Amino acid sequence: MIRTPQMLQKQEWLAFLFHRHNAHLASFHTFSNYPRIWIISIIILAVTSLSPLVMATLINNRLIHKSVDSELVLQTDRVTSNAKRSVRFFLEERLNALRFVVNELPYYSLIDNEHLTKILINLKLGFGGFTDLSIIDSDGSQVAYAGPFNLEGKNYKTQSWFKQSMEKDNFISEVFTGYRDVPHIIIAVRSQNAYGRYYLLRATLDTQRLMDTVLSYKSNFHTDIFLINHTGILQTPSTNYGKIFTPTQIDIPAFSDTTQVITPENNKDKSYVVGYSYIATEAVTTPFILMVHKKKSEVMGTWLNLGKTFNWIIGFCCLVMMVIITLVSTYMVNQLFLADQSKAETMLKMEQSQQLACIGQLSAGIAHEINNPLALINETTGYLKDLYHYKDTPRDDKEIIELLNDILEAVSRCGTITSQLLGFVRQFDVQISSVNVEQLITGILSFHKKETEYKGIHVTTAIAPDVPDIKTDRGKLQQILLNLINNAFQAIEVNGCLDITVSHLPPNTISIEIKDTGCGISEENLQRIHEPFFSTKKERKGTGLGLSITYGLVKKLQGSIRVESSEGVGTIFTVTLPVKLQKEDEA
Amino acid sequence: MKIILVDDETKFINMLARRLSLRGLDADVAYSGEQALEKAAQTRYDIAVLDMKMPGMSGLALKNKLLKKLPDIKFIFVTGHGGVDKNGNSDLSEEIFLAKPLNIDTLIDTIQQQIHPHK
Repeated sequence: MIRTPQMLQKQEWLAFLFHRHNAHLASFHTFSNYPRIWIISIIILAVTSLSPLVMATLINNRLIHKSVDSELVLQTDRVTSNAKRSVRFFLEERLNALRFVVNELPYYSLIDNEHLTKILINLKLGFGGFTDLSIIDSDGSQVAYAGPFNLEGKNYKTQSWFKQSMEKDNFISEVFTGYRDVPHIIIAVRSQNAYGRYYLLRATLDTQRLMDTVLSYKSNFHTDIFLINHTGILQTPSTNYGKIFTPTQIDIPAFSDTTQVITPENNKDKSYVVGYSYIATEAVTTPFILMVHKKKSEVMGTWLNLGKTFNWIIGFCCLVMMVIITLVSTYMVNQLFLADQSKAETMLKMEQSQQLACIGQLSAGIAHEINNPLALINETTGYLKDLYHYKDTPRDDKEIIELLNDILEAVSRCGTITSQLLGFVRQFDVQISSVNVEQLITGILSFHKKETEYKGIHVTTAIAPDVPDIKTDRGKLQQILLNLINNAFQAIEVNGCLDITVSHLPPNTISIEIKDTGCGISEENLQRIHEPFFSTKKERKGTGLGLSITYGLVKKLQGSIRVESSEGVGTIFTVTLPVKLQKEDEA
Repeated sequence: MKIILVDDETKFINMLARRLSLRGLDADVAYSGEQALEKAAQTRYDIAVLDMKMPGMSGLALKNKLLKKLPDIKFIFVTGHGGVDKNGNSDLSEEIFLAKPLNIDTLIDTIQQQIHPHK
């Protein structure tokens, strides 16, 4: 069906997706697969426009994470070393105070409980954090005690801290509960009395002070700062690991008395870093390791939030761009389709009008072909009527039968012509049927019978005996041959020749050669004959579409057409066609 | 009055001759231009009814040749091409054309008018 111009003007949105498929119309389209063009254009546009944006976002994210990481490491390092210094100072200060006491005072004044209590009060005033003081002799027995617990006379000989502290000048213990069931730290200094015997000045330190010192560096709840001993048992409470004395599963880091920051390996998304330092005073190593766990999230919250916001904005931009790209692509492809469609419709109309023009050219010959038998019928029936009118003896059966036979013969002549005309009923979609080329050519030549006679044209048809019936579209082949033969007849002068040769080119092609001794085509025109509207026929005689349409039709029948011509000598058109036309979707 | 009918459609022309003779008109037939010229050499015809298109010699060519032999002869042309476009062709502007199929009465009237134009 041809679309009316009104239908064409109604430019449907997404027409290229939802138009009614018309194979014949589609054959005039420049592009065949519009949905594919549409999708490819969207993909290309999306990739080219979105990829820089996505790249920039990825790079930006990496930068943010990198700077967050380095900032985190820096902060952790700072907190760890500050806290370590404080803890070390806390312990060192107290140890030095004890050293001062044993160096300053003789042994005998130290073992005086009252004097010791005075010293404890002064130490509490001067430094704070001291719970009690005691003097322990080398046998482990407590010879003097000042403090709130009643521990006088206790023997520490079997306790490990005692053994350890007797081996060196200074000692700092882990946090432990001991006899009194309260977490405390022991610091002890070793000295010699007047008899040269070793004794210890031992002080217990309130762990609360140590905890306070450590916790004062805990800037927010994303930072966990605590002390462990060398076996991983908590020495101060930890946000992550729990109360004091809880064994942690922390891998004990390698010894370092300077601050180290590491990113633990089991920490998959690198959400926190660990800073640590072994606490070692100048005089003594301690059993403490200072640990700082700093979480990345919200430590660098602003940065990450910014990144997140940025990602959202980029995501939204991508979405908007995708929508625009899709709309623009759809619009463009649709416009392309509509333009193509209107071109195809024009071409279709041209093909139809050319077909009509072609039939118009034939009509004169056809009129003559039909009028002659009609004239005969007219005269014969008129004569039969005359027989009744002018003669009294009309029953001359023999003559009447002869006359009637003449009429019947003339009628069948007319019938032949009309049935051949009916063969030109238009068929636009390719319909494959078995076609006898010889019959087709004979049929077409019969339209030109009179012209052949008048012009004295010598027509020969040579069909090779091995030419098979071909499977092709009868209507299209008919039109191709009709166009070429019409052209030949128009070119041939009186007493010219038209030779039609059909041969079989094994295995599956036939060739139809139409050779005329007409005026021929000049070389410059030969280049242009397949162009639409190119015509050398003057004044209305031709539409200029015949050969262009013929070329198109041959292409549709999957064949090829070749022309050789020399001016004044004649022209040979050779059409090569497949014996079996493949259906379009198979081809 | 002698009439000559020229057409390559033999049956048609024979039938036309018979019908004319039934109406008292004396008509000879010729199946080609050459045959017509032969017959014209022997008989003095008053009027010729010619088919326009014939193999070999066309109706118009035949007219010119017949005029040389019989200067007074009148012509009626018959054509199978439906209407004839006389415009712009000075050779045809004076001629009488009749379309096939013919109406016998129109033909006879036309013949009479050609022979006796003043009637």
